[in-house]
Amino acid sequence: MCDWCEQYGGGYERWYLNPANYARRLYKVRREEAEASGAEANPQVAGGMGVVGREFMEAQARGDHETVDRMRREAEQRTWQVHFGQVVTKEDLDRIIDMIYPIGLMTCACRRSMRGLPDEDNFTCVGMGPGMYKWERWPDTYRGGMNFLTPEEAKHVFDVLNRRGLVHVIFTFGTPYLAGICNCDYPDCGAVRNALDMGVRVVWKGHHVAEVDSDLCNGCGLCVRRCQFGALSFSPSTLKAYIDPFKCYGCGLCRNPCKPDAIEMVERASLPTVANVW
Amino acid sequence: MFPVIKVDDSKCGVALDCRLCLLACPTRVLGLGTSVGPKKYQETDPSRFIVRGVRYQFCTVCGKCEEVCPHGAIEVSFDRGGVTA
Repeated sequence: MCDWCEQYGGGYERWYLNPANYARRLYKVRREEAEASGAEANPQVAGGMGVVGREFMEAQARGDHETVDRMRREAEQRTWQVHFGQVVTKEDLDRIIDMIYPIGLMTCACRRSMRGLPDEDNFTCVGMGPGMYKWERWPDTYRGGMNFLTPEEAKHVFDVLNRRGLVHVIFTFGTPYLAGICNCDYPDCGAVRNALDMGVRVVWKGHHVAEVDSDLCNGCGLCVRRCQFGALSFSPSTLKAYIDPFKCYGCGLCRNPCKPDAIEMVERASLPTVANVW
Repeated sequence: MFPVIKVDDSKCGVALDCRLCLLACPTRVLGLGTSVGPKKYQETDPSRFIVRGVRYQFCTVCGKCEEVCPHGAIEVSFDRGGVTA
């Protein structure tokens, strides 16, 4: 079972469908942060979006598994307490939108850091809940301003982002408080990069796994470019799509361009050896 | 083992507006950040934005970031362990 559902599910089907995890009482008033003593002291401030740094990469390169494991564990414990995400399908996202308010479309901090994307081209991030009432206090976090959306508008925005190929990831801000839905891709999302490049699970896989029905697959290959996680490939021997269930993050984006509807999302829990692959 | 990427902040212009190096890097090694944390009721001045090497393991030392920088603020070096190409 998903650790977060176990700890914070509150009897609901999934932890992010439990309204208590969006509640005002969990919202922590944000404090002023101390000036970084030189940018290097704080890689987050310095724009890395990386939860591990050069030391980790060097340990990895020299095959020092002990150090890598320790640093990875420490980084995960840190990030899981404060700010991490889980991939959600469009269907689950629609259910979330019906529970939360207000919803604000804002600029993406990762793409600012990775590409220096101008604010007007960078509205791909969604904030939600009580914190949104106070966004004006933190102009730097909300560079470019805030567009408040009705639930219907939000569903439309997510639809557009989904068609663009961006993966929906729900994020905690002081776990289990859920207050953001990022729309991520590789290589420009810091969280996805931490997960894929470093094996530090800042993003958890979702509750589903995509499966291809080979009889239905017509081999068009349109699904392949939708996968941001390297789980979906095109098999030249069978001329069909191939999905690695152990790598699949369960976002469901591969389904959308599939004309014959050959990709189905199955419950992760229904596959015993994949059930705990997060 | 990994390249060393040095950015001279005093030479670098307004990185938030320029971003040439970020766009030139084929593997997204560089990151844009700020030299200060977020402040209440205060937007960070564009001059406080800085560029740093972040994802060193993907740097191929291709030199594109150095070439594209109008101020010569970036320097990438790689210790080949005494072996010259």
